[in-house]
Amino acid sequence: MRITDYLLATFGVYGLPVLFVVLLVGSAGVPLPASLLLVAAGSFVEQGELNLWSVLMLSATGAVLGDQIGYVVGRWGGRRLTLRFAKLVGGENRIEQTETWLRKREGVGVFLSRWLLTPLGPVVNLTAGATQYSWPRFFLYDVLGEMLWVVLYVLLGKFFSDRVQALNDLLGDLTWAILGLIAAIVLGVLAFRHLRAD
Amino acid sequence: MKRLGWRRWLIVVAFLLAAAFAGLFVARTVRHAVYWSRHRDEVIRPWMSVGYVAHSYRVPPDVLYRAINLNPMPRDRRPLRLIAKEQNRPVEAVTTDLEKAIADFRAHPEQFPPPHNGHKTP
Repeated sequence: MRITDYLLATFGVYGLPVLFVVLLVGSAGVPLPASLLLVAAGSFVEQGELNLWSVLMLSATGAVLGDQIGYVVGRWGGRRLTLRFAKLVGGENRIEQTETWLRKREGVGVFLSRWLLTPLGPVVNLTAGATQYSWPRFFLYDVLGEMLWVVLYVLLGKFFSDRVQALNDLLGDLTWAILGLIAAIVLGVLAFRHLRAD
Repeated sequence: MKRLGWRRWLIVVAFLLAAAFAGLFVARTVRHAVYWSRHRDEVIRPWMSVGYVAHSYRVPPDVLYRAINLNPMPRDRRPLRLIAKEQNRPVEAVTTDLEKAIADFRAHPEQFPPPHNGHKTP
């Protein structure tokens, strides 16, 4: 039995505690099918087995707490690791420049990686912590993004409650397609500039 | 100059890889969307409960509970895998019974008794 099947079966029997734990652990960086459980939760709400507000509140709380774990790990562990690496290769100035660049754009990154580019979420948490991005700002963008993600996926699951698996497959591939397209556009612009400079 | 060339090629290769990756997942998304528009019934899997199968196939849950020799009330939320284990038979056998019951209900819905109180009609 696959891990996704096992989690869905456990969620079906034990309900909200499983949803909370999976969202917390998944947001902290462990690769678990959190989006699938949100869609399934929407379906269970539609079938009258779970309460909509409890699902939304617990899911958002679990996800936000998991993100804070990632941020704290990045802030303490990641910072030390980055500085040690910079000393080794002698690129302290470069690291500072990168951090300044990241700090200016991290708010948008945090927000988008909560609901649109979800596979990047755990990496963005670590980076935000490692670059000492302001915690109140991180928390604000995190809460906004996670609430949007939870509401969007649960309502989609509620609306298409009879097709949880098909919906999850569609959303999963759509997310990777968007991520790939953004990467291709950014790298395409860079490649074009380099080629033109020659 | 040599270093710049190396970087340039790295960016071009990275761009091509990202474009191929995006193309693959756009194609998969389109395939899922086409499948979505043509199929409503989900393939029955071991994680599903009888209630979810009934909901997905728009069949009264009582019909499916009876098909696998379970009492419709109280509602059984266990996954099919556990039900099969308790009945000491493979989960595929339970799935086959459910598929047969769904086909029978869809062919002759008038032959089945009305749903038990407490169950939502699909």
